[in-house]
Amino acid sequence: MTGEPDAHAAAPIRERLPDGDLVGARVAADFAAPLARALDDRLTGYLRLEPGDALLGVGGSEAVITVESGVPVLAYDAGNAGADADDADGPAALAALAGTTPVRVERYRLPAEALASLHDTEVEGSDPFRVAPGAPARELAGDDALAERTREAAPAERRDAAGDHDALAAFLADEERVEAVRREARAEARARAEEWDLGDQLAE
Amino acid sequence: MVEAFAVASGKGGTGKTTTTLALGMALARRYDVTVVDADTGMANLLFHAGLADAPVTLQDLLAPDASGPDGAAVDVADATYERHGMRVVPCGTSLAAFERSDPARLREVVAELAADTDVLLLDSPATLASKSAVLPIVLADRVVVVTQPTIPALSDALKVQEYAASYGTGIAGVLFNKVRGDLGSVGDQAERYFEGSTLGSVPDSDAARAARDAGEPLLAHAPDSDAAAAYRAAAAGIDPEPKAAGDVADRFRSAVVPERP
Repeated sequence: MTGEPDAHAAAPIRERLPDGDLVGARVAADFAAPLARALDDRLTGYLRLEPGDALLGVGGSEAVITVESGVPVLAYDAGNAGADADDADGPAALAALAGTTPVRVERYRLPAEALASLHDTEVEGSDPFRVAPGAPARELAGDDALAERTREAAPAERRDAAGDHDALAAFLADEERVEAVRREARAEARARAEEWDLGDQLAE
Repeated sequence: MVEAFAVASGKGGTGKTTTTLALGMALARRYDVTVVDADTGMANLLFHAGLADAPVTLQDLLAPDASGPDGAAVDVADATYERHGMRVVPCGTSLAAFERSDPARLREVVAELAADTDVLLLDSPATLASKSAVLPIVLADRVVVVTQPTIPALSDALKVQEYAASYGTGIAGVLFNKVRGDLGSVGDQAERYFEGSTLGSVPDSDAARAARDAGEPLLAHAPDSDAAAAYRAAAAGIDPEPKAAGDVADRFRSAVVPERP
């Protein structure tokens, strides 16, 4: 490729994703089932994800994971309108989505050629959105077997994509988020201690 | 002296049992080590330790009349096996025996074991959802937190730490297991949130799976593997603190009684 990339190619992925045909929608208790379904169906298109807080009307977030023959390629998260969180791309989008179940999942199909330019590694601006093939299964569903199955289904050149720990690094960089997990766990530990008659074993 | 460690992860599939036996074997070079399968509901340490045919296990000790498969009376020594330089107390997998077992007896068994060892490692259940699953964390002096480098696993590891803190149990450190590639900044980043240090990063390894299939601890099956070296390095970061054996035994003896499973 020579010359300046055209303005269209440089536009953010979220503005360039064409509308697909809705093939199904459901509310899922975890991310494993919809990711497994996309893989089993060899879906080419995208999953539009609306996390629990948005379902409850608290925020306005939505996220998209594009898939090619069922294997995730790109991800973005449109942030949460109810908080001051920014949009997140790629691994950071997975970090933003993690733990947000239940989640409403809409499956959209697109012709392979409609995604070809977005998924082309040479295309300007797509890099930050790219995720490792098994990363959504591992980081969102905590499902090693599904992650491995997805990785094996990926084209050879993507199978050993670097950046395995990028989503976790993005999660750990969000101090507020980590503190929220710890705070909830402390409250849960104390509540359960009372429930289990372990109250007198609690530290001061 | 004795210090009791719970090896815990919150989440399943992190390689906790492999870790328990590996740390046990590494620590056994310097200390008297006893490893107990405290995951009585989902026991699998016996398969890792080559004790699948063990005639007497912790399950028999937890039976109300503490009798073995042939009905004869058994005691703690009968369920304790010398393996790979340490003492191993496996738990059986019979559902009938599990249903018959009295988890309250676990306190007495562990108290007895604590009287005669330096380091007690409790392979803990992979959940925080029941009283008996949390009990090893309540009773141990410190917890070795095992996690994979993923968001769900690390979130559960953070939960384990908060449960431990709630009961006044310390954190010996965090061990990243089944790591693919370079952990990058994740170890340092995680250290900001955990009380103990990052003990190490154990690479994802076919050797660990092969060891499990062979019924041998990793350090016996593939002592020269990268994973084995990483476990030995992690064990070097755990410095058991001497405690009066009687105090630890008393603590287990006077511990709360878990609900029946």
